[in-house]
Amino acid sequence: MAYAYLFKYIIIGDTGVGKSCLLLQFTDKRFQPVHDLTIGVEFGARMITIDGKQIKLQIWDTAGQESFRSITRSYYRGAAGALLVYDITRRDTFNHLTTWLEDARQHSNSNMVIMLIGNKSDLESRREVKKEEGEAFAREHGLIFMETSAKTASNVEEAFINTAKEIYEKIQEGVFDINNEANGIKIGPQHPTTNSTLSSSQGGHQAGGGCC
Amino acid sequence: MNFLRGVMGGQAAGPQPTGAETIQKLCDRVASSTLLEDRRDAVRALKSLSKKYRMEVGTQAMDHLVTILQTDRSDSEILGYSLDTLYNIICNDEEEEQDESEDENTQKQTDDLCALFTEKFLQDPERITLLLTLLEEFDFHVRWPAVKLLTALLKSQGAQVQGIILVSPMGVSRLMDLLADSREVIRNDGLLLLQQLTRGNAAIQKIVAFENAFERLLDIITEEGSSDGGIVVEDCLLLLLNLLKNNSSNQNFFKEGSYIQRMKPWFEVGDDNSGWSAQKVTNLHLMLQLVRVMVSPVNSPGATASCQKCMFQCGLLQQLCTILMATGVPADILTETINTVSEVIRGSQINQDYFASVNAPSSPPRPAIVVLLMSMVNERQPFVLRCAVLYCFQCFLYKNQKGQGEIVATLLPSTIDANSISAGQLLCGGLFSADSLSNWCAAVALAHALQDNLTQKEQLLRVQLATSLGKPPVSLLQQCTNILSQGDKIVRRGSKVQTRVGLLMLLCTWISNCPIAVTHFLHNQDNVPFLTAQISENLGEDERLVQGLCALLLGICIYHNDNSLENYTKEKLKQLIEKRIGKENFVEKLGFITKHELYSRAALKPQPVFPSPEQMLFDHEFTKLVKDLEGVITKAVHKSTEEDKKEEEVKKTLEQHDNIVTRYKELIREQDAQIQELKEQVAALSSQHEQMQATVAQQLSQIQQHKDQYNILKLKLGKESPSQGDGSQQNGLQTEELSQLREELDELRKQHAVLQTQLAERDALITTLQSSSQTTESPAGGSDNTELLQELEALRSQVQSQSSEISHLKTERQELLTRAEAEPSDTAPPSASAELESRLAAQTSETEKMKRSVAELEQQLAASTSTAAILQTEKEKLQSEVQESKKEQDDLLMLLADQDQKIHSLKKRLKDLGETVEDEDDLDTKDQTSDDDDEEEDEDDK
Ligand SMILES: Nc1nc2c(ncn2[C@@H]2O[C@H](COP(=O)(O)OP(=O)(O)O)[C@@H](O)[C@H]2O)c(=O)[nH]1
Ligand SMILES: [Mg+2]
Repeated sequence: MAYAYLFKYIIIGDTGVGKSCLLLQFTDKRFQPVHDLTIGVEFGARMITIDGKQIKLQIWDTAGQESFRSITRSYYRGAAGALLVYDITRRDTFNHLTTWLEDARQHSNSNMVIMLIGNKSDLESRREVKKEEGEAFAREHGLIFMETSAKTASNVEEAFINTAKEIYEKIQEGVFDINNEANGIKIGPQHPTTNSTLSSSQGGHQAGGGCC
Repeated sequence: MNFLRGVMGGQAAGPQPTGAETIQKLCDRVASSTLLEDRRDAVRALKSLSKKYRMEVGTQAMDHLVTILQTDRSDSEILGYSLDTLYNIICNDEEEEQDESEDENTQKQTDDLCALFTEKFLQDPERITLLLTLLEEFDFHVRWPAVKLLTALLKSQGAQVQGIILVSPMGVSRLMDLLADSREVIRNDGLLLLQQLTRGNAAIQKIVAFENAFERLLDIITEEGSSDGGIVVEDCLLLLLNLLKNNSSNQNFFKEGSYIQRMKPWFEVGDDNSGWSAQKVTNLHLMLQLVRVMVSPVNSPGATASCQKCMFQCGLLQQLCTILMATGVPADILTETINTVSEVIRGSQINQDYFASVNAPSSPPRPAIVVLLMSMVNERQPFVLRCAVLYCFQCFLYKNQKGQGEIVATLLPSTIDANSISAGQLLCGGLFSADSLSNWCAAVALAHALQDNLTQKEQLLRVQLATSLGKPPVSLLQQCTNILSQGDKIVRRGSKVQTRVGLLMLLCTWISNCPIAVTHFLHNQDNVPFLTAQISENLGEDERLVQGLCALLLGICIYHNDNSLENYTKEKLKQLIEKRIGKENFVEKLGFITKHELYSRAALKPQPVFPSPEQMLFDHEFTKLVKDLEGVITKAVHKSTEEDKKEEEVKKTLEQHDNIVTRYKELIREQDAQIQELKEQVAALSSQHEQMQATVAQQLSQIQQHKDQYNILKLKLGKESPSQGDGSQQNGLQTEELSQLREELDELRKQHAVLQTQLAERDALITTLQSSSQTTESPAGGSDNTELLQELEALRSQVQSQSSEISHLKTERQELLTRAEAEPSDTAPPSASAELESRLAAQTSETEKMKRSVAELEQQLAASTSTAAILQTEKEKLQSEVQESKKEQDDLLMLLADQDQKIHSLKKRLKDLGETVEDEDDLDTKDQTSDDDDEEEDEDDK
């Protein structure tokens, strides 16, 4: 499909908080209660619409274990957005947010949009972290915040889309250098660019898009 | 430099220092000299010695060289020498080249040195990080040797170096930057580095892909001329293969990034067979492999299916089929293209249908399938090509009932087309040709037309073959067994075992799961004795596989027997085995199949690949059949009659159960259909729901718009009301003012008349005076302006009050409107569609009503605006008339004043003449204030 922009995301957070489930819910609209532990990094993609524009999201789901931390770091710089996930039924995953955030801030480009996600909101009876705490943490660190459930799909779309909206706004404000792909943003083949002559002279190979 | 000369030149007198001594001296200098130039010279000297004295330099100087890399970061020259030296120590490529002609020992020594020094270098992992930092140096003399050194280290100790690079956060990213270097040498060596870096490490492969490797590599390939490009294209393709092979995450990314579409132009090589350089062949070969990686049968079925779909939609498959049918394509490219097309269509109905429709550009055009099969049964074609065609045919029929039916149909009496060569004819020809390879391929191909397809197994029983003239036709099934029964006596080029194995695999596939075919087979009195003879004989090694297959065939005759032939019931066949072969013996012979050395190799993957034609014995699908049947047949043969009877009973109950199950299945199917229907309904309803919500939203926004419009109107009206007096009124109440104005005008006219009469009177008076007879009355006609103004004021206030009344009414209406709107906005997301619908209907009608009222209002507004405009002009006209009348009146007054003057002067003259007239002063005053007096008098008149 032709798209106006392509955004790269990463999903980070402790193991077991539901990162892989969030991705699956977003890309395939389904919940898989039991599935393999993510080894390394998995990839998923989906198209969304913002402001009437088609935006392609490419999402890398990382493994949360300590041993994979250093691998995960390789993904920060090239991402335009990060979903930082904790589990509202496990306080330790909330306590580790600071470490995650430090890591992300240190290795990412300064404009990366970070969305804080308190997942498993369907498990109200087992809640250990109040919504207000999540909100406070987000406010304190300048993040957007949402509680989601990968199981019931509640707020899952919104989490991914709102992150994209934030990035989109930053582009409109001219904060992102969209011509530098290293920022995790790419202009689509059909998008009018400033150097359109250049893109049309080499654009033949991109015109065939549309089937997958 | 003296001692250097000693080493290198060798002309110095006296005892020459050994290499080791010289190197030690140089090392000392590198370590201790405070002058950069000295250190630089020493490192340069070490570099020049590093090939000849590799061992010595490696052992003695490595640490010093690394120290230089850390401390002399500002001098790119010394960095370059140091890196070059390290490279020479770890990987001496000149020696490597020489070694080709030298003995193996030297080669081994070189390898050992490489491993030794790599290990020494890696004792401190930080050194790799150091190299990564140096890679950021732009200077060619630093960057290039750093790239080469790191490549050499990766080649020698891949896993360890990969591990270090993986955990340095910017490591892979820095290496990816090499592809963007404008200096081709660095970019190209960067490619080689990335090849080593990505070898066998999925985590690194993913990061490299994340760093936009696909985009960059595809760009380079395009820039370099795709398949016409040089070795750089080859290197890019090798790297792409590294990134994609066995890496499902990257494959998914490649597909989602729409990079499959970018592969299509690679294959636009057309019919132009002018240039097929070795490089082009290599490039295209790799390109085809890349396509195959994406649709490999070992990938997850879903992933392969979506890539296959994409390859059809973007025209890649079509492009490949063009190459397939083109002339002048080198045989190995053609072979690989056939293999690629095979995997692009395998199990994908759309692609298989497309493939069936491809025609060769011959005259008359022939289906591609027919043209390919001609090659398969043609002895002169290369073996690998024939295997590829078989694979293609198998992939065409895989999970393709429609295709299977079409192939079988070309053999059936009712549908046979005598005028052209058909696939069926070619297969039959191959089946009975004198070439064993053709026999085998045709048998396997035909078996694939029957795979999991009961209908076609039964249909194929109808096929009759014409034998020699005058003899009755014989069935295809019979012909197969006839050839089998000739045993070793058949005349074949190639391997006779191959022919018989092929036919036996076909027969097993054919009759398995098809009791009618079993009956057909058993019906021929010769078949069972032939099989038992084959199995019971003690034959050589070569014949063991044939024995095993015969046992399998006989086993299927028992297992899928419906007992319709009295002589060959299950029971009787088992007794026969027991008597003639022996159960144990039978089972042992059956086991020969899976124990064959080539069996497990074929079971591995669907593609038929064989190192040599003689090893072409097993078909992949057939190995699955064996796996399914071996156990059950063994059990069936071992069972006693009693057990059999019991089983029969069990079977009966099972059948009953089956019936029940069938009924339930039916029910489930029905319910499934219902569910499906309901799901569709739900989907339809939810989409309706969505639509309606959209409509609601739309209407809400419309209402808002109307509201806004209304407010604007209100505002406009509100603003205009207080300014009515300014003469730009816009409401219908103007008419009153108008009539007022008319009255005014009438009044003025009346005044005018009065004045005129007065004038006449005065004229008369003048006349009288002129005739000097009597005095006249003082002129009395004054203006009524004051009164007019007052009246106007009254009217204005009236208008004011009326307009406030209007605005009051408007407010009321606004309230009504708000109330009307409040209803739709109160509507919470409805739980049921029906409710939503009714609410929506209500809202719609309300909105409609409001729209109408707004329209009416707008109309009213328009009407009043135009009325206002008309009135305005009328008013203006009237005002100007009033003005004119006033002017006229003024003129009259002037006249009056003149006449007064005249009267005055006449009076004066009369006085002078001695007549008695009114007081002079009095006259003067009257003269000055005549207007006011006139008015006063008029007022009095009223
Ligand atoms: N109840 C509930 N369970 C969830 C939710 N998201 C994930 N899980 C479960 O949490 C476990 C870990 O999920 P996973 O996606 O593998 O976590 P990851 O390690 O962050 O990728 C799995 O057993 C999921 O079924 C959610 O929103 N609600
Ligand atoms: Mg996971």
